[in-house]
Amino acid sequence: MSVSFRPDAAAKLAGAAQYGTDLAAPGMLWGALVGAPVAHGRLRAVDLAPARALPGVVAVGSAELDALIPGGGRDADRPLFAVREIAYRNQPVAAVAAPTLAAARRAAAAVRVEVEGAPAVVDLETIFPEWPGSGAAGSPHVIAHVRARHGDVAAELRRAEHVVEETYRTPSVHQVALEPHACLATVGDGIWHVATSTQSPFGVREDVSSLLGIPEASIVVEGTWVGGGFGGKGSSLLEPFALLLARAAGRPVRLALDYRSEFELGRTTLPSVIRLTTGVTDGAIVARRVRLLLDVGSSLPGRDFATGYSIGFLLGPYRTPAFEVEGYGIRTNKPPFGPHRAPFAPQCVFAVESHLNEVARVAGLDPVEFKARHLWKEDDATPLGQRVLAFGLPAALEHARAVARRWRAEAAPGEGVGIGLGFWSTSTGAGGEVRLLLTPEAVTVEQGEREIGSGSVLRGLAAVAERALGLPADRIRIAYADTARAPFDSGVYGSRTTGALGRAILEAAESLQATLAKRIAGEGPVTLVVRDGELVVARAGRSSPVRELLRPDEVERGIVAAGRHYGRGGSIDEARVVDGTFYPYTDFTGAAHVAWVAVDPETGAVRVRRYAAFHDAGTVIDPATARAQIEGGIAMGLGIALTEEAIWSEDGRLTNPHLLDYRIPTLGEVPIPEVTFVEGFPGAGPFGAKGLGEPPIIPVPATVAAAVREASGAHVTELPLTPERVARALKLL
Amino acid sequence: MTPFSLVAPASVDEAVAALRSDAAAGILAGGTDLLLDLDEGRTRAERLVSLRRLPWRTLDWTGEALAIGSTLPLRELEDDPDVRRRLPGLWQAVRAVGSVALRHRATIGGNLGRAAPASDLIPVLLTLDAEIELVGPAGTRTLPVDRFVLASRRTALGPAELIRSVRIPAARASAYRWQRVRPANDISQLAVAVARVAADGGWRVAVGGIPPRATLLPDVAEALGRGRPTDAALRAAADRASRDVALVADRRASEEYRRRLVGTLLRRAVADGLGGGGPA
Repeated sequence: MSVSFRPDAAAKLAGAAQYGTDLAAPGMLWGALVGAPVAHGRLRAVDLAPARALPGVVAVGSAELDALIPGGGRDADRPLFAVREIAYRNQPVAAVAAPTLAAARRAAAAVRVEVEGAPAVVDLETIFPEWPGSGAAGSPHVIAHVRARHGDVAAELRRAEHVVEETYRTPSVHQVALEPHACLATVGDGIWHVATSTQSPFGVREDVSSLLGIPEASIVVEGTWVGGGFGGKGSSLLEPFALLLARAAGRPVRLALDYRSEFELGRTTLPSVIRLTTGVTDGAIVARRVRLLLDVGSSLPGRDFATGYSIGFLLGPYRTPAFEVEGYGIRTNKPPFGPHRAPFAPQCVFAVESHLNEVARVAGLDPVEFKARHLWKEDDATPLGQRVLAFGLPAALEHARAVARRWRAEAAPGEGVGIGLGFWSTSTGAGGEVRLLLTPEAVTVEQGEREIGSGSVLRGLAAVAERALGLPADRIRIAYADTARAPFDSGVYGSRTTGALGRAILEAAESLQATLAKRIAGEGPVTLVVRDGELVVARAGRSSPVRELLRPDEVERGIVAAGRHYGRGGSIDEARVVDGTFYPYTDFTGAAHVAWVAVDPETGAVRVRRYAAFHDAGTVIDPATARAQIEGGIAMGLGIALTEEAIWSEDGRLTNPHLLDYRIPTLGEVPIPEVTFVEGFPGAGPFGAKGLGEPPIIPVPATVAAAVREASGAHVTELPLTPERVARALKLL
Repeated sequence: MTPFSLVAPASVDEAVAALRSDAAAGILAGGTDLLLDLDEGRTRAERLVSLRRLPWRTLDWTGEALAIGSTLPLRELEDDPDVRRRLPGLWQAVRAVGSVALRHRATIGGNLGRAAPASDLIPVLLTLDAEIELVGPAGTRTLPVDRFVLASRRTALGPAELIRSVRIPAARASAYRWQRVRPANDISQLAVAVARVAADGGWRVAVGGIPPRATLLPDVAEALGRGRPTDAALRAAADRASRDVALVADRRASEEYRRRLVGTLLRRAVADGLGGGGPA
């Protein structure tokens, strides 16, 4: 077996890779944020004078903005600092910088913040003790409302042979990237420069421009190595504050969160309550009604992404003739809602899969057979009227059933084997661009994303370029440049990087080949090969070293070919949308997972003994990287399934902002998964690839819950499945 | 974390002197708990006195009795085959502390001195009749664990006094059972230690994982009788335990879940103590 190392492995193992938390500059100051001491209330006064009285301290707050950004049209809807109303605890009210971190913390503590506290709005079910009716859309707590329907659900449910209604609850979960948010800002010569650990340098540039009211052309964002993002580093968080402090200080300012603040300020997934009603007649689903209450924290009105995107995952992937779906985004005194790997899909899929298991049980059917009969197949229509494209989930399910049969035969009493299905779509997002640079030695992919750890940039893009150009790995280089020099890309999120930038690479490769075709005689396709250690252009029996095809000036600089990929595919039947925005799927990807668990019948403790995953990843571009994504996604999903839960007190305080009581799995809780790719169902990416960053996490909580139910009979309707919750479901308490 | 100065005396006298010169100094014996508290601001110390250079990384068997030097890393205790064989309850409790990496740093003296309400070691040491040897300005003295650990985070350690060793007499049987949300690197929701130390075969039972401190349950032990308990005695002891123990609800577990666990873990620990094995 050959062992290959990722191109970033050596630098990371040796500690040479510079992450956001490693950033430093000569003369640098250390920044700290001053947060609101209550989750809700009025901000009466912020007095920076005691902080400024300390040696070397710079302090900025709302009052300083006009002086620091003359004429800056700050985003009135998104004030940088809390102005009058405090929306969540630790919401920034000021920022300070000082020569040392300890001095910065002292200065932050010295700022006098006067507030008039008000009762915090924290718990969804306190806001709506009764399930909200259609009038809830007018509630001041509701800032997003989405609704879609097709067919007469009420009539179908009245006629149905069996109707099952259940309520599921899911908690707030954090991304827990190893590296907290960190950046270093420098302002001078009209340029606002920030080096930062981000999933989206261009996204940060756009955010900073809008928040500070300065043109994008004056902002340069330079990505560092990223110690994990998982959605938490998709937009700006600290950068605007660091830039303001750097501007005020006239010196570089480093601003980083410690891990407690990372929990408290990070943009996380917030709690939800999901109510599902399904009608079945003669073993077939006739109607489904879905209601979602999603805590969106102090997110802003009009931003219905959270509800609109999430709710798509409550609609599938099963044929449902009549449906009605309604989601409310509910504002609470918590930080704004943020994406977490496959935003909110693991939670929705847990509810849908567990619910259908219960529906099948009530109807006297085998749950997996029941699901197999309803599963979308290519050319089916989704509830929103989109045609299903190549979809490997039915094939993945067949594999999963075979494994489950084998494992069941071996399982001991008190053990159980469960299957869970999840679906997803590669997001091409707002698109992106690359440049290919051909020199006599190599082809360099010039682009604007840093590797966030998944391998999608350094391996995914390289593998696409290798395949597109027919070159070995050592002739492909991936170059990163900051937002001033790199071609645009929208960010490393949405399982899109290898797909969208890979498509851009294909376009650039064609363009490069067209350029070369003009320079070498003959007919037919032009290819690049390595001969005697140098790059050679070959065409129909002729060949010529690249060096000889380049003009003298090009030998130094190389020749450049650009490629781009924008836009998403698919469309939905808008007539079925009543309110809000629903999104079509670019392609249809999915996975069937199998878990073998042991449940302690006296304590409710769950142990995952074995785990298998069958993934439709379209064409697999780089198997080792793809497998690593699946293994990591399953480990993360086991956390959501079994232990992870951020708990907010009634006064809007996070009660467990540390890794002792916010429990991610340790390796002891994660069996090495058995991973299989189900190929032959091409997607929207290069060579038919489908995104794989997010899908692996999606089915995990559902799969574990199904296995727990089979092992013990416990039907748990709230995540995570802690021993105590399982014990309650077993009626031990 | 606010900055602190660190001294590492090479002798006991120097260590005691360092602590006498600064009553507010913290004692560093591994640091896996103290440094977290300092970082979170729950404890303040401008000066730490490290015990790492003292000659206390020892493990001495005298027949079946064991003396453990207070700065011996827990991992070394765990790796000793005689500990596993002769004091399985202690071995199980040591393995329950944090993770392997943490146990390379954490020490038995640190665990006792910090007196965390959820300590995995204190319940077992209670049931094993362990004694703690202390050394300080007035010389040495010995206290049973029950009189050393007074309350949550409170011990009988006097000014400038240090834990030198922990002595454990021979035990006929011992076992430790715990329940957690996450098996590793977590704090027990409830734990039960049992041991038979007396020559007459009587049991000792202690419960841990609940504030304010681990507690011996003599009435429960009494209900178990001598030697192998009958099913009825075991049931009576489990009932007694879930009735007698003052349980509380906190963010780790509800009171009723803990009540459920007391009986279950007691039965399992006794079964294990009898040599019947049983699930962890």
